[in-house]
Amino acid sequence: MTANESLALITETLNNNRKEITRRGGKYFILWGILLTFFSLLVYILWKTTGHAYWNNIWFAMPLVGFPLARMIRSKEEPAGATNAVSRIISGIWTSFGVFACSVAAFTVIFTTLFDNPLAAIVLGASLTAEIVLLFGLAETISGVALRNWAIKIAGFVTGIGSVAIYFITGANEEQMLIFTLAGLVLAATGLIVKRQN
Amino acid sequence: MFPKLDPILHSELRLAVVSLLAGVESADFTYIKKQTGATAGNLSVQIDKLSSAGYITVEKGFKGKMPCTTCSLTPEGLEAFRKYVDALKEYISN
Repeated sequence: MTANESLALITETLNNNRKEITRRGGKYFILWGILLTFFSLLVYILWKTTGHAYWNNIWFAMPLVGFPLARMIRSKEEPAGATNAVSRIISGIWTSFGVFACSVAAFTVIFTTLFDNPLAAIVLGASLTAEIVLLFGLAETISGVALRNWAIKIAGFVTGIGSVAIYFITGANEEQMLIFTLAGLVLAATGLIVKRQN
Repeated sequence: MFPKLDPILHSELRLAVVSLLAGVESADFTYIKKQTGATAGNLSVQIDKLSSAGYITVEKGFKGKMPCTTCSLTPEGLEAFRKYVDALKEYISN
């Protein structure tokens, strides 16, 4: 091998490896995007038809469905894979998002129902969706920074900030679930972009 | 005078393996095989050579019920790789 060939080989290997890890990340964006779209539409339909906001409790089923599915996808990956700092950071970002989103939702529900906390009741009825969707957009943008992917960075910003703006316009009712539907579609679309780019 | 290129790294497949491992914390055998396009037998031989030189560590374990061989670059391997790349740059710049 000449020096140029060696350097070309090193560059190609490093690039292919980075692309492969990014491509694999795309699968999880698609999975969570589809789940978010499905659950938001389900809650929206049930809330709209019955008039009860308690259908929001269905959200707690999303991680129960999502994490086993993500685990199944990971176990079926051929070849099994590699880990690097980026894949570990991405995993950490979304795990943190899941923990924060579930915890804030759970605390709000507990404080509202068990302790009749008026502030929690306001948050539950008015701003919980906006808070979670903002966290979601932030998680997506940071993922884009880690993956050095502008499509994900922009999608995260548009989802987070755009959804809050839409929320202010539409107000606090079952229609706010459609913001999650939009966020889910954007997430799935960014996953597809990542897969196609690589 | 040009610096001497490390003979352990100056082989296409071994260089590809070390380059790949330089970008990750660890990678399993099947992943390395796919990314390098090598045959299992050849890859196994080259991984043994890199391991004997102390450039990589090889851990054999199980993922579920399937056997799994995981490789990672050692600090010595990373240093050797860095020196190799520096030497290549010197070759090219002169």
